[in-house]
Amino acid sequence: MVQAPRKRVDLFPYLLLSPALLITILVIFYPIVRTFTYSFMQYILWKPTEIKFIGFDNYLKAFEDPVFWISFQNTLIWIGGVISLQLLLGFCTALLLNQNFFWRGIARTLVLIPWVTPSVITALMWRWMYDGNRGVINDLLVRVGILSSYFPWLANDTTALYAIILALMWQGFPFFAIMILAGLQAIPDTLYEAAEVDGASALQKFTRITLPMLVPVLFTSLMLRIIWVANSLDIIYIMTGGGPGYSTHTLPVYSYIRAYKGMDFGYASTIAVVLTLLVTLFVSIYVRKVLRMEDRGAV
Amino acid sequence: MRKGKQRHRFLRRALTLHIPLLIIVGFALAPYIWTFLTSLTPEEDLYLSEFRYFPANPTGTNYLRLFSRIDYGRNIRDSLIVATSTMLLGLCITVPASYSFSRYRFKGRTALLAQFLVINMFPVVLLLVPLFILMRVLGLMDTYLSLIIAYSTFTIPFSTWMLTGFFNAIPKELDEAAQIDGCNRFTTLLRVVFPVALPGISATGIYIFITAWNEFIYAAILTGSNVRTIPIALQNMIGEFKIAWGLLTAGGVVSAVPVIVLFFFIQKQLIHGMTAGAVKG
Amino acid sequence: MKKWMIVLFMGLVLPGLIFSGGAKEQKAEVKTVRFWYHFDNPETSVKPLIEKFERENPGIKIQAEMVAWDAYFQKLMTSIAGGNPPDVSQIKLWWQPQLVEMKALAPLDDYIAKWPGRTDVYEKIWELTRHTDGKQYLMPLQMVILYLYYRADMLKELGLKVPTTREEFLDVAKKLTRDTNGDGQIDVYGFGIRGGRGGHDYWATFVLSSGAEIITKEGKSGLTTPEAIAANQWYIDLFRVHKVSPPTTPTDGFNEVIANMKSGKTAMTIHHLGSAKGLVEVLGDRISAAPVPRGTKGAWTSFGDEENGVLAASKVKDEAFKWCAFLATAENNALWQKSSGQISINKSNGQTKEAQENRFMKASVESTPFAGVLPAHPKVAEFVESVWPATMQRAFLGQITSEQMMKIFEEHFFGKK
Repeated sequence: MVQAPRKRVDLFPYLLLSPALLITILVIFYPIVRTFTYSFMQYILWKPTEIKFIGFDNYLKAFEDPVFWISFQNTLIWIGGVISLQLLLGFCTALLLNQNFFWRGIARTLVLIPWVTPSVITALMWRWMYDGNRGVINDLLVRVGILSSYFPWLANDTTALYAIILALMWQGFPFFAIMILAGLQAIPDTLYEAAEVDGASALQKFTRITLPMLVPVLFTSLMLRIIWVANSLDIIYIMTGGGPGYSTHTLPVYSYIRAYKGMDFGYASTIAVVLTLLVTLFVSIYVRKVLRMEDRGAV
Repeated sequence: MRKGKQRHRFLRRALTLHIPLLIIVGFALAPYIWTFLTSLTPEEDLYLSEFRYFPANPTGTNYLRLFSRIDYGRNIRDSLIVATSTMLLGLCITVPASYSFSRYRFKGRTALLAQFLVINMFPVVLLLVPLFILMRVLGLMDTYLSLIIAYSTFTIPFSTWMLTGFFNAIPKELDEAAQIDGCNRFTTLLRVVFPVALPGISATGIYIFITAWNEFIYAAILTGSNVRTIPIALQNMIGEFKIAWGLLTAGGVVSAVPVIVLFFFIQKQLIHGMTAGAVKG
Repeated sequence: MKKWMIVLFMGLVLPGLIFSGGAKEQKAEVKTVRFWYHFDNPETSVKPLIEKFERENPGIKIQAEMVAWDAYFQKLMTSIAGGNPPDVSQIKLWWQPQLVEMKALAPLDDYIAKWPGRTDVYEKIWELTRHTDGKQYLMPLQMVILYLYYRADMLKELGLKVPTTREEFLDVAKKLTRDTNGDGQIDVYGFGIRGGRGGHDYWATFVLSSGAEIITKEGKSGLTTPEAIAANQWYIDLFRVHKVSPPTTPTDGFNEVIANMKSGKTAMTIHHLGSAKGLVEVLGDRISAAPVPRGTKGAWTSFGDEENGVLAASKVKDEAFKWCAFLATAENNALWQKSSGQISINKSNGQTKEAQENRFMKASVESTPFAGVLPAHPKVAEFVESVWPATMQRAFLGQITSEQMMKIFEEHFFGKK
């Protein structure tokens, strides 16, 4: 490590950071701080004369709001479902793509397609495929004999959220596949060779070498992905608009609906702040762990 | 004997590699192919009462109309300008920042690194009004720059974290050797570390590019008649009482192509680059 | 020292980059009117109209921007809150109360009084678009009236008459709901209900015509009277009890409703002239139209509107109004409707031969006397966009009763009791 001189503060690292800090402060800080203050205000866009500070009233309101709690619960199912499915499929894909075979380059490229398709298209196509009257998914399931008649996947309050989770799994698994593949390729072959000499089974190699070596990759990609998924709303909103009823309301969807359908920016900001706190809590555990690993000499 | 063993091996390989991977690739492709098939179907055939997997009268007119009537070429150009510039600006800013996070231990490092994550957690839709005001005050409404700057808000935090990982994976001895050879600290980054980290940097670049390529809501609010990216054009095909399915699906199919081509050419480097960085988290 | 300068440079380049784009020169002699609009058909263009206007009005330039419908209101509100709205914007009637409350719209009464074309616009439109404060903020642009689409061939096959009352309608819908190929599955549903966002028009057609009122003349709630709750129950039962609408009803939007008509999955639905062309393309003579059936207290159908508003923040109001007036003039308005697929607001356009012979146009015109709009209340926008769909869907799913549903609406408009 390049050691900073002890006697005076080294400004060089700060200078390297300054452009990134400058632009974040200039462009993000002001909007975030403003939105944060809205959460303590009664701020309804079309009532500009009635904007006032109301302390924690919005937070108390959220606490008593059943829709908030439904959205909260859905958010947990949403994050848990999407992340675990994306991770699982991404992991399998990465393990397969890590091998040597003739169509590897093409496979890697094709697997990326869900990620590069614009969300509008992804959401509308999945909605069209799930359609309860003319959807290809229903047609296939009926043809195969799993269903006897078409099922309204998105119009049913128990299946809607899971149907969207599946669509988001499709969109996001390539991210994990690429990240984990990168991690797999970095594991030195010598480790496996040594294990082979010791007579380790394939399973042992996987649990003793592959998994532990992948932990750092998994940490970073999981953390970044959780943040992204927790905030994603376009696919849900286009597919069901948060319905039927409240069955696909998540916190970002609810916040969006409060802000742009109800024009209630005060309450919408409150929901956003709560969501941010929730994710921060979740992620801080990861961050601390990542930083600790870094300091422990992994770097 | 030998032949049997070979066949056995081939079978095993097919069962454990080719077939599962084909299923996954099929899963990844199926909705895209379905989009493609829809785009070839004449609009009045979409609602036939019998279910068809392949259009009876395939047509390419949706693609023709896309470029002749909608001016989709211009949308692609705008998206290319915005995504490429966002990528370049993002990298110019985050490469030094991540290098700093990776190589130096300084006061406030942890807090600064963490703040990049926290600002990424706030739902962006709520930042629209203040961001709009900001762009208006700066006189940037409806310019490429407004989008490039706005997109930096979510690409900077992400790429800082990713790049910090990539730099961590490059041995520090390299820096030290460079400095002994007479490089100062800045030229060390520029001439020695940068080339080594190039694959990782291009990996991050691709991430930024894809994100900027597909972004809708900022583009909808911050730009107007001068700048119209692909997602805006696609969204305009969804009306109050009508969805232009043919154009929309054709547009969706086309919009993925440039990115896929780009990725195909740099995928080897990307994998290699990610390898270097991600492993150290 | 050099290295510091390079780093410093990097820090300074960015702000420089940011501010450099700021200076935009404006020419004094040409006044630019910024105009926002939305069309359902992305292939049409307002260019010919703009060129015509600019020829007729030298010195005014129209800078038109097509805004995606899904983001339209959001963008409009953001631009108003952010202090940079367009000069003229297409506006939905239900947005008007909020926009007026924000003082975002300029009253146009003085302009309209001097505008000779005003008499060629239907009186009914002026009446419906006038705000409750007595001022006229909106310039009519287009209109649609919702009516009943039905499969003439299916009705004929079963020997049914076009329903004119609520009871006849239910009877016809039940008979049309059937298994046509004998596989034990329902293949055709009598009525395609739009249960998702935008479906309030269907709901209002049956519920507001049978004793429910959102706001009574006295300014009170007319949503929770026994009559209103029963009317709402009747509507819920169409899906839950009689099952005359497909199982996808709770989330069906216009796209699904129209697709179901085209594919023959449903035999009746409610929509407007905008979908006539597409339906005829697929179904030809098999599709026809009639006014919506009467409820127990008379008929009600939705007057779908679209107006232009001049924003209060505009610095070129005179020119902006000229553009609105241009679009509301018969010849130009007819051109506009070619792109929008809707009905001209001009009396003189309604008398063309084409307009009178078309069966869909006829259904629209016959519905005019009882066409209505939702009350001019600032909370209507949210009601339409999120409260109605979420609550209706919950009722369709059986999560809440008719009474609970109407109480939620009442609370939305009048607050908690």
